[in-house]
Amino acid sequence: MKEYFTVSQLNEYISGLLENDFTLADCWLKGEVSGCKVYQQSGHMYFNLKDRDAVISSVMFKSRVQKLRFTPQDGAEVLARGTVAVFARQGKYQFYVQEMQLYGMGDLYWQLEQLKEELQAKGYFDRDHKKALPPIVRRLGVVSSQDGAALRDILKVLRHRAQNLDIVIAHTAVQGTGAPGEIAAAINRLNQLDDIDVMIVARGGGSFEDLMAFNSEIVVEAVYQSKIPVISGVGHEVDTTLIDFAADIRAATPTQAAQMAVPDNAALLETVLKHRQRLIQIVQRDLLVRAESLDRVMMQRIWQQPESILKNKKNLVDKFTAELQSSINNSYKDKSACLALTMVKLDNLSPLKLMQKGYAIIQKKERILRDIETVQIGDEITINLRQHRLLAKILKKEKFQHGDQI
Amino acid sequence: MEIKFETALLKLEEIVRSLESEELELEESIKLFEEGIKLSVYCQQELERADGRIQQLLENIQGVLELTEVEINE
Repeated sequence: MKEYFTVSQLNEYISGLLENDFTLADCWLKGEVSGCKVYQQSGHMYFNLKDRDAVISSVMFKSRVQKLRFTPQDGAEVLARGTVAVFARQGKYQFYVQEMQLYGMGDLYWQLEQLKEELQAKGYFDRDHKKALPPIVRRLGVVSSQDGAALRDILKVLRHRAQNLDIVIAHTAVQGTGAPGEIAAAINRLNQLDDIDVMIVARGGGSFEDLMAFNSEIVVEAVYQSKIPVISGVGHEVDTTLIDFAADIRAATPTQAAQMAVPDNAALLETVLKHRQRLIQIVQRDLLVRAESLDRVMMQRIWQQPESILKNKKNLVDKFTAELQSSINNSYKDKSACLALTMVKLDNLSPLKLMQKGYAIIQKKERILRDIETVQIGDEITINLRQHRLLAKILKKEKFQHGDQI
Repeated sequence: MEIKFETALLKLEEIVRSLESEELELEESIKLFEEGIKLSVYCQQELERADGRIQQLLENIQGVLELTEVEINE
């Protein structure tokens, strides 16, 4: 029996051949778009790329479609980058597109990439440099065309979210050769006012070329140097311009920029009022609780019949008074007995009393004589008796013999 | 009152929390209550301060900035 493949095996084999080819793994393909269709459920995009003589089925997955900077339309000449691989189920090879641009734009894209790297190197996109949005916004600047759809979209949102917000419009052209300089000047103009809380730089959707002004260095630089926080809202969701990297906040659209610019003042006000309500509630309840406790205390008997407590107190006072009185009396009695005794003792010690008994006090020149050494033979001394005084002279000093003592 | 809106709002929230969760002396809670009411009035004023004008900022021929009221039809 001859060797054979199953269909699956054959497709797998071919698939392997293609996968191992480096050229097919990553190539740029120029062609015209036809039969373009985005499946709603998956979001993937299916189309053919063709030239005069040939066609190849192409697929772009949803994640890649979202990064497209234009909407591919039938007939558009494009430059697509991708991989050729086998779709085994249908037995055909397809081009799986990673990125795609309009043909003829190639140089522009490349220049833009270059500029982006340059500006990045200058630090214009640094995260550290980004300013925070203020918590409340009272005065908001808008850099946009005064006739554009972007401005109307922004005003619609602001009117709804913050009726009393002040809006300062710095009109500028948003496309054309003069646009970059005008946009930068408008940003700088707003920065000369000192009360703008935040600014939006916006433009509605347009072609890649329409949005080019927002890719210019002068605009990116003005955004970077703005003292006022900048929100960029340029084009549709899929559009990215260099201003988005330099802005403090990047919004996908002008409408979203307005939503991000203004904290919901109404919601904030509601929070404040809710807090106030709560304060009042708490304090009212607190006062009620305290009033109830006071009531409970007041309900007790003593408050109902104050005289009963007074009577008790009066009895106590009377009792203490009586005790105090008797204690003073007792103490007084004790003290006077003691005093009498002491006075008798004192009386007994009085020199007068002694003199009554026959003692005398001898003085020499007014000083009481206590020992023999202070007098000499012949000195005059005074002998004080109880009622008289004798003047005398020392005739002799003699020491008592034992037993002679009085 | 020289404080920022966000500081005032934080302080207000803190006061509500204290009053809710702590056993306070009557005098203290009345003090907090008064402060809280003042803060809420301040926050409200801050939120309602702007008056909803739409102006256009232009530079005139002399290079001087001018603010003028504009009507934008939505």
